[in-house]
Amino acid sequence: MKITIALKGTLRKLFDCYDDIVVEVPDNCTCDEALQAAGINYKETRNFGFVSVNNKRVMIDSRLNDGDYLKAFSRVSGG
Amino acid sequence: MKNRYERNIGTVSPQEQELLKQRSVCVIGCGGLGGGVIEGLSRLGVGRLTIVDGDVFDVSNLNRQVLSSEKNIGMLKADEGRRQISEINSEVEVTSICAFYTEENSRDIIRGHDVVVDALDNIASRKLLEDACEQENIPLVHGAIAGWHGQLAVIMPGDRLIHTLYDGDENYGVEKETGNPSFTPAVVGALQVAETLKLLLGREGVLANKLLTVDILQQQYEIIDFGE
Repeated sequence: MKITIALKGTLRKLFDCYDDIVVEVPDNCTCDEALQAAGINYKETRNFGFVSVNNKRVMIDSRLNDGDYLKAFSRVSGG
Repeated sequence: MKNRYERNIGTVSPQEQELLKQRSVCVIGCGGLGGGVIEGLSRLGVGRLTIVDGDVFDVSNLNRQVLSSEKNIGMLKADEGRRQISEINSEVEVTSICAFYTEENSRDIIRGHDVVVDALDNIASRKLLEDACEQENIPLVHGAIAGWHGQLAVIMPGDRLIHTLYDGDENYGVEKETGNPSFTPAVVGALQVAETLKLLLGREGVLANKLLTVDILQQQYEIIDFGE
């Protein structure tokens, strides 16, 4: 199945990834697995925040469906 | 002053303007976000404000914190906020609490207010605040910033947006690398004021259980749904 991935905030620069990525992943793939398949080793960064699928907050181990739009955001907590 | 709120009218009705005088807001944090929020709420004419911060102004605050100046370095932020509000709008009843937000004082500080504003700068305190607001049954307006980026949410009692958003043990975010310029707290703080106003007046369109992500560099604004 095909998943589209977008990095947001400072993750764009960190992973040098400024455009949407379309990846082919196995059925029942998780967000974690899709990011890894796209070469986004998010565990390397201290400030990874959260993921959404189709603009809904999900957990990193949530499973994806064909055509899903996965976004990853950095952690923001300043005031 | 007779015409103080003249330019509010149209955005709010005369009846809503009167209603604001009876409303109360507790702002936790008087730094980058909090300074703008406190000023905005006092200019709107919210009747009672409690402003909370245990810190003093530092030279490094001058780039973005609107309550700071070269003359008040070393002074308590909450007391300075109260003094400045008295000069902007003496009709606002302001209580300053010069203390850090802790587990011990978390419920007492917010009790009895209509809305609480999260202008904190760390995740552990934000989680405490969400818990306290749930226990005291008070809506919470969350804001956070880092460099070109920010976020905003309204959390109604029982929603657990902050605990869901920050699901790890880290206490800070990427702001430790990006710093914070003048414009990001101005944007997110202004949005917090607007959401607070809507809550105080019972208006529609509150950003409840949704996170607005703000990317000022790309001028991209997205809403992420945190509902079930």
